[in-house]
Amino acid sequence: MAVLSTLVPRRILAAVESMAPSGRHLLQMNAFATDAETPLDALTTYITPNDLFFVRHHWVPAIPDPASWKLTIDGEVSRPLALSLEELKQMPRAEATCVLQCAGNGRALHRPIVPGVQWSYGAVGNARWTGVRVKDLLERAGVRGAAQHLHTFGTDKPPMKVPPFYRSLEMEKVLADGIIAYEMNGEPLPALHGGPARLVVPGWAGDHWMKWLDRLSPQAKPQNGFYMDVAYRYPNEPGEPGVGKKPDEMHPVTELFVKSNITQAPSTVRVGSTATLRGFALSGAPDIAKVELSADGERWEPAHLLPDHDPYAWRLWEHAWIPTQPGKTQLFVRATDSRGSVQPKDAVWNQSGYLYNSWHSVSIEVTG
Amino acid sequence: MRLWVAGILMLAAVGLWIVLGVRGKESVVPEAARTQAAQSQLPVLGSVVAPLPEGPGKSIAERTCLPCHSGDILRQQRLTEKQWTAVLTKMAGWGAELSDSDRVVLMPYLVSQFGPENNRFQPAAVRPIQP
Repeated sequence: MAVLSTLVPRRILAAVESMAPSGRHLLQMNAFATDAETPLDALTTYITPNDLFFVRHHWVPAIPDPASWKLTIDGEVSRPLALSLEELKQMPRAEATCVLQCAGNGRALHRPIVPGVQWSYGAVGNARWTGVRVKDLLERAGVRGAAQHLHTFGTDKPPMKVPPFYRSLEMEKVLADGIIAYEMNGEPLPALHGGPARLVVPGWAGDHWMKWLDRLSPQAKPQNGFYMDVAYRYPNEPGEPGVGKKPDEMHPVTELFVKSNITQAPSTVRVGSTATLRGFALSGAPDIAKVELSADGERWEPAHLLPDHDPYAWRLWEHAWIPTQPGKTQLFVRATDSRGSVQPKDAVWNQSGYLYNSWHSVSIEVTG
Repeated sequence: MRLWVAGILMLAAVGLWIVLGVRGKESVVPEAARTQAAQSQLPVLGSVVAPLPEGPGKSIAERTCLPCHSGDILRQQRLTEKQWTAVLTKMAGWGAELSDSDRVVLMPYLVSQFGPENNRFQPAAVRPIQP
């Protein structure tokens, strides 16, 4: 049974017990429901540490007690199940190292401005998720062929008449790649990030990664409701920026778009000397093919991709830039993924601000 | 439900206590102060609650919006009157208690304080909660 609790006691304890000086910090967007992004200059490692991983809650969550928590599987199955955390852990372990990015990451950068949490760059991270394959679990439950969509439910309950955050996603994707994760980077999945268990959908935006997961239900039809039929939808065709579209002119957000960010760059450099820039690149495709930098948006220099990689994980990159002319220079980065999709100069504007992926840039002062 | 509401009120109270009692006016740390923040003790994630700006409509905004949101979500919006109208309609449908007379006062407050020219919001640098 879900324990109705807020994070208050935890926060008080943390405030009292961990007062040692530290530079590690998040950028809080909302105190409650809690939202916080990672500073871009902290996203420099292949694995994003748990305590620096962005936090995104719709409401003050009802966090389940791991000791009494159960994952129910019903719907189009011949053997409905209700498994405890211990029972889940006795199943074969599966692991995926991949990117989790909020669908709204970069919302603050869309123009015209759109409502919602004003994320800039840091509602993204790369982590190692460990748990059980969705495929193994659904096979154990005897999933039927009629099931085309997996309905997912978590324990967080909305206030007042706000519709619940119930979702579904295509069986084909979740059977191929989905994991029910109970560990994040080798630690029990933190409650802040959906513990005891959440859904992991490599390559897809965070709205599919149901936190505080407590029920899976394979069904013939997609889930209905506000968070399927109205929210988390993306235009079928780009429109005029600032002009909203009707829900039936849009489709659910699924795969991430190819994008790259610069996480480290010097503010000044001399003509003829080397400036080292670093960053990451990600996509809904399994890998990044190349990352390039340009001072004019026309002539592009390839960056060096670092070897660390797993399917749907990000690629770290670095680039040694040698300026030839003095003056303030804007350096742009763009990525191309393994399917050939190239990051666009301008993201497609949409009224909810999803999947922002315009070229990122830094300004560097080149001295003579 | 009652427990849940009590939880929110408690969180708000604790946040305000920390803001007023411990952090004073430094509750929101500007981006530029990040390096200084590295040497100082940061408030813990979720403990910093920035107050809504003064103005007619503030008390209605507090009563209408803050049961479910911290003031941050208002402070970071930069919306036109048309966009705020759509937001209020959505929130009223979801249970926000908002009479017609409240709306007459609240709309100008939202548009003047959190309109397209609003640039008051800076995310607060906060200490991560240890897993």
